[in-house]
Amino acid sequence: MLELTSVFLFMLFGGMAVGCALSMIVQRNPLYSAISLVGVFVSLACLYVTLAAPFIAAVQVIVYAGAIMVLVVFVIMLLNVETEVRRPLRLRYLIPVAAGLSFVLIAQVFFMLFFVGPVSSAPSNVGLTASIGAGLFTEYILPFEITSVLILMAIVGAMTLARRAADIPLAARSADSSGAAGSSFTDPINDSRISGSRPGLTEIVGREMAARAIERLESRTGRGQGEET
Amino acid sequence: MIPLSWYLALSAVLFTIGAAGVIIKRNAISMFMCIELMLNAVNLTFVAFSSHFNDVTGQLFVFIVMAVAASEAAVGLGIIIAIFRNRESLDVDEASILKL
Repeated sequence: MLELTSVFLFMLFGGMAVGCALSMIVQRNPLYSAISLVGVFVSLACLYVTLAAPFIAAVQVIVYAGAIMVLVVFVIMLLNVETEVRRPLRLRYLIPVAAGLSFVLIAQVFFMLFFVGPVSSAPSNVGLTASIGAGLFTEYILPFEITSVLILMAIVGAMTLARRAADIPLAARSADSSGAAGSSFTDPINDSRISGSRPGLTEIVGREMAARAIERLESRTGRGQGEET
Repeated sequence: MIPLSWYLALSAVLFTIGAAGVIIKRNAISMFMCIELMLNAVNLTFVAFSSHFNDVTGQLFVFIVMAVAASEAAVGLGIIIAIFRNRESLDVDEASILKL
């Protein structure tokens, strides 16, 4: 009876995980795939419970389904991602390669299912929080500390990457003030005292960059100005 | 008790679906989620072996993998936002030159 129940639970949650994963691949809207991925995470957490690992199951739900997926959904909504368009496949020779590799994988799975014998195991307190904490803070203290340093680096890196670049508004501002009459600001590109009679290569490149920055700025703020006028 | 090979087979299937998704998808965020799925498949293998051999080391590794996945999510989404800000698109085919 217990055997049958555990088989039923494995089939239920394993099937849920595979179904949600397939749905994640098939969906073209990234938000729907994110929801499907949450389903995969929750069913994997249930599988962890059946494997007698309650701490990992709780961390799975809290960290993956709680923190990471909220971040992903937040970015999807922030960027207003459009649905993927269907386009023709470019590398056609990859299809037979994929078929061969999937055949190898299926052969491996069948080998594991039918030729690797079961090894009996006794129930123990391995998955409990106390044993995980004891292992984490005694034998594996160095990987734990390295992980904390890695997370610190990730925080700094994410803030550096997602920050708005400071040089674009500066360039646009200096180019803007060159056209404004009565401005006390001296433009280094258009100032004849500095550049002389003939514009050099660096000045042309700089003027082009400034024009591009102005264009970008105008395209970004153009929506708001259009509503005002 | 479910045999270990069933969990390994399920993990292999999930990993394959994730790898296929990374190859198929062109949206950067979708590829990112497929990578998360592959990490989870490996986590399932770790936990299955850990409870099978009565060794806590596998679950400690799962804990560390989750921490790495969280930091990867932060940095990866930062990169995605930076790419989107410069290109107004998340298509990875258009961002094929590593230049913003």
